[in-house]
Amino acid sequence: MAEMQDINLYLFLSAIMFIIGAAGAITRRNAIVVFMCIEIMLCSSSLLFIVFGRATRTFDGTFMIMFIMTVAAVEAAIGLAIFILMYRKTGSIDLDKFNIMKW
Amino acid sequence: METVLLIILGSLAITGSLMVIFSKNTVHSALWMVSFFFFIAGIYILLHAEFIAMLQLIVYAGAIMMFILYAIMMLNIREELSDRIPVQPLKLAGIALLGFIFLLLLPMVVFGVNHSMLTASGPFTEQIVEKFGHMAVLSNYLFSDFLLPFEITSILLTVGVVGSVMLAKK
Amino acid sequence: MLDKIWLIPALPLIGVLINGLFGRYIEKINKNIIHWVACGTVFLSFVITFIIFIQLLGFAPEDRLYEYTLFNWISSGVLQTSIAYQADPLSIFMCLFVTGVGFLIHIYSIGYMAHDEGRYYRYFTYLNLFMFSMINLVLANNFLLMFLGWEGVGLCSYLLIGFWFSKEENAIAGKKAFITNRVGDFCFIIAMLMLFCGLGEHGIWSFRFSQIFPNVHLLSPEMITVICLLFFAGCTAKSAQIPLYIWLPDAMAGPTPVSALIHAATMVTSGIYMVVRSNILFSLSPTALCVIAWTGALTALLAASIGLVQNDIKKVLAYSTVSQLGYMFLALGVGAFTAGIFHVLTHSFFKALLFMCAGSVIHAMSGEQDMRFMGGLRNKTPITFWTMAIGTIAIAGIPPFAGFFSKDEILWKTFASGNILLWIIGAVAAGMTAFYMSRLMFMTFFNNCRASDEVKHHIHESPRTMTVPLMVLACLSIIGGFLNVPHALKYIAIFGEEKAHHFLDPVIGLGPDKILQKAGHEIAHQASHATAHHSLSLEYGLMLLSITIALAGISIAYMMYIKKKDWPEKLASRFCTLHKVVFNKWYVDELYAFLFVRPFHVLSNFFWKGIDVPIIDGMVNGIARIVLWSSTVLRHVQTGQLQSYAISVIFGTLLLMFYYYFHVDL
Repeated sequence: MAEMQDINLYLFLSAIMFIIGAAGAITRRNAIVVFMCIEIMLCSSSLLFIVFGRATRTFDGTFMIMFIMTVAAVEAAIGLAIFILMYRKTGSIDLDKFNIMKW
Repeated sequence: METVLLIILGSLAITGSLMVIFSKNTVHSALWMVSFFFFIAGIYILLHAEFIAMLQLIVYAGAIMMFILYAIMMLNIREELSDRIPVQPLKLAGIALLGFIFLLLLPMVVFGVNHSMLTASGPFTEQIVEKFGHMAVLSNYLFSDFLLPFEITSILLTVGVVGSVMLAKK
Repeated sequence: MLDKIWLIPALPLIGVLINGLFGRYIEKINKNIIHWVACGTVFLSFVITFIIFIQLLGFAPEDRLYEYTLFNWISSGVLQTSIAYQADPLSIFMCLFVTGVGFLIHIYSIGYMAHDEGRYYRYFTYLNLFMFSMINLVLANNFLLMFLGWEGVGLCSYLLIGFWFSKEENAIAGKKAFITNRVGDFCFIIAMLMLFCGLGEHGIWSFRFSQIFPNVHLLSPEMITVICLLFFAGCTAKSAQIPLYIWLPDAMAGPTPVSALIHAATMVTSGIYMVVRSNILFSLSPTALCVIAWTGALTALLAASIGLVQNDIKKVLAYSTVSQLGYMFLALGVGAFTAGIFHVLTHSFFKALLFMCAGSVIHAMSGEQDMRFMGGLRNKTPITFWTMAIGTIAIAGIPPFAGFFSKDEILWKTFASGNILLWIIGAVAAGMTAFYMSRLMFMTFFNNCRASDEVKHHIHESPRTMTVPLMVLACLSIIGGFLNVPHALKYIAIFGEEKAHHFLDPVIGLGPDKILQKAGHEIAHQASHATAHHSLSLEYGLMLLSITIALAGISIAYMMYIKKKDWPEKLASRFCTLHKVVFNKWYVDELYAFLFVRPFHVLSNFFWKGIDVPIIDGMVNGIARIVLWSSTVLRHVQTGQLQSYAISVIFGTLLLMFYYYFHVDL
């Protein structure tokens, strides 16, 4: 169970990655960078899944990863298509510029 | 030994993600992202999940990042406007909140792992996994017990493809 | 037919519903339907009343009480009241002339209001509503239903006085009538409830007359006096006595038939009806009767004095009404209840006649009401002239016309009860009555016409719908007096002597009815027996004296307005201060405005500007403003930026983590 000793480190790593990803997602104005930060967050949760799957000696975490990855891929496709539409409409993908729903 | 490797790979991954969010140039961000994925793949290998590591490299670093780079190219992103519009106070407050969350997480992470609940209950010890191979075990269960989610994800992929074509058509 | 007694008030109500709800459309189809409906219902009521009257005569005098319950109205613990009507001599007596004179006035209104466009149906609706309320008042068998009618006539008075409300002074007059009546109604309600609770302590919880009056002697004398005084306060408002008569002269702003009906014949007599109905109650309190007698006498004198110098033809008649009502209350105050009711009857005949003639004159003069611009109408409007002459002679008290019998009986009973001073006041007022009525006649119908040429051109006799009621009422004024010829003049008693007395005696407590012969009708006993102690010659002497006073009044008026026409101005300039005070109605209205109206205004202003607007409106508006303010603050949450929404998600996550982390029990 070498796994057991390091589990704290893995959790710590996952936490840090998540926070970094979230921080980037709410700070950057470029839509594509925001998207990449979301991918970072997804990665951190995938890591968690694998770690706990290993710790309990099951494969459920691994299966979850399959589907997370698939969804991430689809999300990337559609998200980028939307970015292209955004760019066509207004000529920029600066997220601060999209505030028509302001009060 | 593994711990040392973990620490090295982990810090490299953290560095990569930090550079993603701090780069001014979008292409640089994308490239740092690729490196980040590589380091994460390394961590997966440490966890004896080779297939996942490969999958990560192929799908994430290969397909998705390429996708993003295509988009960057098509959208002709210039450098981030450096005539600093100062970061909004709200966003700083958000960062503070995140820091707070992290502080709350720390004790959990460091001390809070309840080892008694982490019963090693499943059948997949290292030996068995090594005997059959990670991918074999995975695919065995993927096409029997988890067939329905598999099919649904394939539908999801189809939808995604069709959708993105529809959206981006002129 | 007795069990159809509920039809008498119901028929005018049906008229109200038809005319009120559909009048607007009926008018467009055929205007005549409206007055057919209105007059028809009142006529049917009169017919039914008459039939019931005949039926009642068939009973023995002590059995003449028939009560009919329509339905149970209020049923709440000890308070049990129903809509129930009673046919007894007093009710049917009142109802007869209410419906009869009412019907004649409805006919008259057809002609008078014929040219009023667009408001025809409204007028007849209100008139029928008034008839409904008045019939409820006189036919009710309990105080609550009577009060319903009491309030109803007040309401209709307001509606009808302010009929032409587009002129502001008419609306103000209507308001004045209603508010003054309200003050009286307040006293009435308190008296009614005191009676109810007072008797309730003895176990009798009822508003019904037949259950209250036999037991009224159980109350303490002080309570009876207070109740009587409060009831009388209600009467001063409704029947225009001092101090609440002020609305009646202003009420002349309404159409003349309204004045004839409401302010001559019916509504103002409701107070007298109420007192006579409760005669047992009032008889138990000599103090109250004394107050009533003196108030009546003083009102008679005061109003007659004001009527001497008025120039508006309707105002003279209005003050005359107040004065005659004073006579009726004088009669009630000395215990001569039947005399009072009889004077109500005769007064309704000739006063309605006088008002309708005045309306006819105004109609002929194209709306002119000031007598100084009339004159010489004698030959141009003969029917109006002769009928008005009959009315004037009747009111002056010249035999054998109706007014003589009733007024003389009142004066005789006053004298016989020992109050010489009251008799003197009454006699003086009688003289003044003769004077100002003759003055009215001479100024309007004699001498040369002082109107403008245009008006002179249009003078014409009124249409038949107006003159026929005049003639009917004139006949009634002539022969109506013979219904109650006193014993002293039994030789000229055509219908038999003292018919009204015999008819009404059971109600007044003098008849053989055993129930009413409890302690308490002493006063009435005294009143009737007092006269028996005086000699016949005294009676003849006083009769001659009153005739002389009346003739003197007429002749003085003749001198002043026909023979020596400069006397009026000379007298006015000699006594200019007195003339000014009397002409301005003794400044009573101004006094009231100063004493009551101004302080109320100040108080209301304070409550409005000082309390209602800042505090109550402020609270309500303040809540609205708080909501508005909070929304202006809260709307900034919606920034429209994606990332601020993400931050709020993070914030929520933090809260959740707090919850789980610290095991907080929410």
